[in-house]
Amino acid sequence: MRLLLWWAGRALSSAVTLLGISVLIFAALRLMPGGFAETILGPFATPAQKAELAARYGLDQSVFAQYGHWLAAVGTGDFGTSMISRQPVAAELWARLPVTGRLTLFAVAAAVLAGVPLGVLTALRARPGGGGAAGRLLSGLGVSVPEFALGSLVVFVVSRYGLQTSGYLLPAAVLSIFAISATARTTRDAVLNVLVEPHVTAAVARGETPWFIVRHHILRNAAGPVLTLTAYLLGGALIVEYLFNLPGIGSYVVQAVGRRDYAVVQAGVLLAATVFIVMNVLIDLLVGLVDPRLGRRA
Amino acid sequence: MNRTARVKRSRRLDPLSLAGLGCLLLLVLVALGSLVHAGGDPDAIVGPRLRPPGPGWWLGTDNLGRSMLPRVMEGVGTTLLLSSAAVLVTAALSAGFGILAGYRGGYLNELIMRVVELLYSFPAIVLAILVAAVAGPGQLAAVASIVLVTIPLMTRLVRAAAVAVAERDYVTAAAISGAGLPRILGRHVLPNVAGTIAVQGTYALSVGISVEGGLSFLGFGVQPPQASLGVLIRQGGTYMMAAPWLIIGPGVVLVLAILSINVLGDGLRDRFEPRETRSLI
Amino acid sequence: MRYRLAGSVAAVVLATSACGGGMEAAPPGAAATGSAAAPGYLAVADGKLPAGGALNVAVHIDSGAATGLDPQLADVATSWQLMSLVYETLVTVGPDFSPQPRLAESWDNPDPTTYVFHLRKGVAFSNGREMTADDVVGSLKRLLAAKSVWRGQLGPVEKVAKVDAATVKVTLAKPYTPFLAALANVPAAILPMKEIEAKTLDPAKEMLGTGPFKVQAHRQDVSWNFARNEHYWDKGKPAADSLTVTIAPEEAARVAAVQNGSSALAALGNVDSAAMLAGAANVKVATQATTDFYYLMLNSKNPKFADPRVRQALNMALDRKQMAEVALGGQGKPTGVTPAGLPGACDPATLPSATAGGAAKAKELLAQAGIANLSFTLSIYSTEPAPAVAQVIQQNLQQAGVTVKIEQMDEASWAGKVYGKVPATFDAALSWFAGYADPGMVTTWWNPDVAGFNAGFMQADKDLNTLIAAATETPAGAERDKALAAVCAKVDTDAQMIPLVTRPATIAYRADGVSPSLYATEGYGNLLRLVADARVKKG
Repeated sequence: MRLLLWWAGRALSSAVTLLGISVLIFAALRLMPGGFAETILGPFATPAQKAELAARYGLDQSVFAQYGHWLAAVGTGDFGTSMISRQPVAAELWARLPVTGRLTLFAVAAAVLAGVPLGVLTALRARPGGGGAAGRLLSGLGVSVPEFALGSLVVFVVSRYGLQTSGYLLPAAVLSIFAISATARTTRDAVLNVLVEPHVTAAVARGETPWFIVRHHILRNAAGPVLTLTAYLLGGALIVEYLFNLPGIGSYVVQAVGRRDYAVVQAGVLLAATVFIVMNVLIDLLVGLVDPRLGRRA
Repeated sequence: MNRTARVKRSRRLDPLSLAGLGCLLLLVLVALGSLVHAGGDPDAIVGPRLRPPGPGWWLGTDNLGRSMLPRVMEGVGTTLLLSSAAVLVTAALSAGFGILAGYRGGYLNELIMRVVELLYSFPAIVLAILVAAVAGPGQLAAVASIVLVTIPLMTRLVRAAAVAVAERDYVTAAAISGAGLPRILGRHVLPNVAGTIAVQGTYALSVGISVEGGLSFLGFGVQPPQASLGVLIRQGGTYMMAAPWLIIGPGVVLVLAILSINVLGDGLRDRFEPRETRSLI
Repeated sequence: MRYRLAGSVAAVVLATSACGGGMEAAPPGAAATGSAAAPGYLAVADGKLPAGGALNVAVHIDSGAATGLDPQLADVATSWQLMSLVYETLVTVGPDFSPQPRLAESWDNPDPTTYVFHLRKGVAFSNGREMTADDVVGSLKRLLAAKSVWRGQLGPVEKVAKVDAATVKVTLAKPYTPFLAALANVPAAILPMKEIEAKTLDPAKEMLGTGPFKVQAHRQDVSWNFARNEHYWDKGKPAADSLTVTIAPEEAARVAAVQNGSSALAALGNVDSAAMLAGAANVKVATQATTDFYYLMLNSKNPKFADPRVRQALNMALDRKQMAEVALGGQGKPTGVTPAGLPGACDPATLPSATAGGAAKAKELLAQAGIANLSFTLSIYSTEPAPAVAQVIQQNLQQAGVTVKIEQMDEASWAGKVYGKVPATFDAALSWFAGYADPGMVTTWWNPDVAGFNAGFMQADKDLNTLIAAATETPAGAERDKALAAVCAKVDTDAQMIPLVTRPATIAYRADGVSPSLYATEGYGNLLRLVADARVKKG
């Protein structure tokens, strides 16, 4: 019963968040300088053309009416039509989802499989002379190279030798460098926090093996912050999509912002937000499973 | 190890962190130098385009024939100022909201976390573009964007750390013994989440520099001809093969800056939270 | 018939038309040396290479407008370029900007206001239906009735009439010299009017033309797939079987595509691309001059720039040579309002502002106007090389004691700021115009009564309007050159929109992947103008 209530509350608050986001994006788009008319029709357009365009997409109504109509349509699964392609937005988003999905899943996997062990290692060797400095330098380096710089370098050098930059391996690798380094640093901090806990001290006193302690006492407690970080990576794919010319959601939405193609931006942001929120719910659930203290507060 | 020895050790920064601190101070000095045009006028066209380093332009010239030395110096200043201003604001807000939400829980937690989630689930670069576009391009927009992009993650992590701390015996004990909320938060919770703040702050600094570069590229951040490391690297990246000095100068400085901030952050964190770190393996 | 076995290989190479009159002589030796440049060409396709194969091209932007794919309503060169693969015009322009036959095999000009077009026989749309005089008349009438930018460039067309099945007559109200040049651009394309009138084709959503290619597939902002039009009238063309146009907004992605050969040809934005790609195997970089040019808008409805002396002073202080050398890597050219590179264009070095005495004189003039410490904001968009041009302007004006603050925005915000409000509130702005194929065409935009879009920041000048009209009416020749020079000088002293430097286009291609044909100078920003000639190299 308590669990059911928790889920109901969670679903409700997620819905409220999504609603808040939709209001925010709706308002922000309309506050931006540069109207859709000048942008999409160009400077040569006549007032009559502008009015016709506005009427075709219902943009001649009040903002509140526009929002109401849009929300009602979204409720029926209709995310509107792109003013540029004149195609339904939902179909294009659906076609682009796998691109961004694959990229970020790869990065998240790399973060968990490489970043977490690296973080645990540097934490355990944090004692002077323990070799943790090398790990600190390495992960520091990883987060200090901006993705656009690393990405440009990789794209340029690889293509110079006649090698293909299409496919997912290279872009995912670029994305992963940052993901691994950031995860390693967060893990290191989380593990160091756990190390002073009494139950770890007790475990050491009991003579348990180091790996048993890591697995049973440290990882469980370090999982929260680490899992929280992975959600952040979902947003990191944009620059990589641009550099490697992958038709993903990030580049789609940012291009649409540039053209004030409202329906695309609204749907894209809402989709991204939904994915984030579902991820967060799952993470909170997982954290609750591995660390009961956090679960109670989640 | 007795208590005195522990405190003594913790007061000292390890050599790596000290190196980071020194490096950072040097960069601040360089940035201050650019204020008095120590390396020359960063905007003046002084020579032919795309020249390798030589007398008159010790770091080469860029695609407009400007000397790279004063430009890199100005870039360091711009980037450090923008990013650290943004990260300080983020750290202060995140610490406040995160600790409050984590320790108090209840409706306050719910409210703060929903707002944070709202910002968090907004795609970062779209959020930055919207903020900058609505606020108008410039440095303020860049700072605001960096803050909004970095604040959700930091608040969540501070909250997670605060939740863990709130359950510890000494905090419970302090609460039972009648200590007031400010005292508990300031004395017991804050020092224990300071490490998280320090680590996330340094990490946010690098995110901030990335966001600054991306925004400047899209035309929403630093306005030309002002240089920032993000702008210089973005430009230098396209000239990688033809004029490598355009990226080497600012690139080295950027990596040095973030790296020294990071190792310093780690060092501070270890010092902030005195503990015996043990070797398990 | 894929292989052309004609004796004159050079004719295949050049051929804007196989049998049209007035075609210029084939460049000597062009066919023999493959891609060696002939006069007026950057490269000429090697006609000895076998036809066939798939051609991959990368460009930075898709056609994207609310008006969809309707060529008559398209107003940007990037859209014209894509549409020109499918649609064709009655006439086209040669490498020297002379009108050349296309769907009209020839034309008569019995008097200055009458044009009689003799249509080419055997032209069919890609659905197999033969093109008729009704399609031509219908298309032109549709364009004249459309709310299209190009309507303003077409001139004072009074009547379009069908004479017989193969002849169409156009009557103008008064002489208009750029008429054929205006007919040569994509918005004046011949559409399948029968299908459009029967509503079986919506030209905004679908393209169906007489051109060398037909659309196979299109995904907005991702790619276009074109297949050869089997009904194309110019047998043996297109040389390639298929053409894929990949949209890659990021320059680094296009550089990569041409370096690793996944695209045989790519449009690049950076003026230093040749140096950057210097070490890449088999990659050739060519700079195509264009008639497009940057211009500086000084908002004369803003009190700062209401006094013409202030605008003239700024104009004097500008160093166009430095803009061309520094901001555009030596690949742009200083220009007056008649685009440098077009026959009959005025010499920018003789303009009043160029001979006035530079920054020192500008300071004096500002002092005369009672202005001290002038400072203003220059609004630009972030697309390179506009910021580079703006920074040189800033340095130039600093010499005259004027402080310029650069405000950089995305293109949409910029458009909102410059065109969104009437009267406009900005101080100054930077942009570029397409220069088209006749030196009189772009001058039309200096008449806000015609251009409309700049009425928010520009005062109409009666004298200038008269001069512009005179230059468009005078037949080509020494007298017209004089009339154009007068427009140049007047625009220069009016100084509300100040022409600066031409804008180069950079093209990179794989020497082992394609043998392309490219004009040395392009008037309509169409990199793919001669793509039907391009030979794909295999292996």
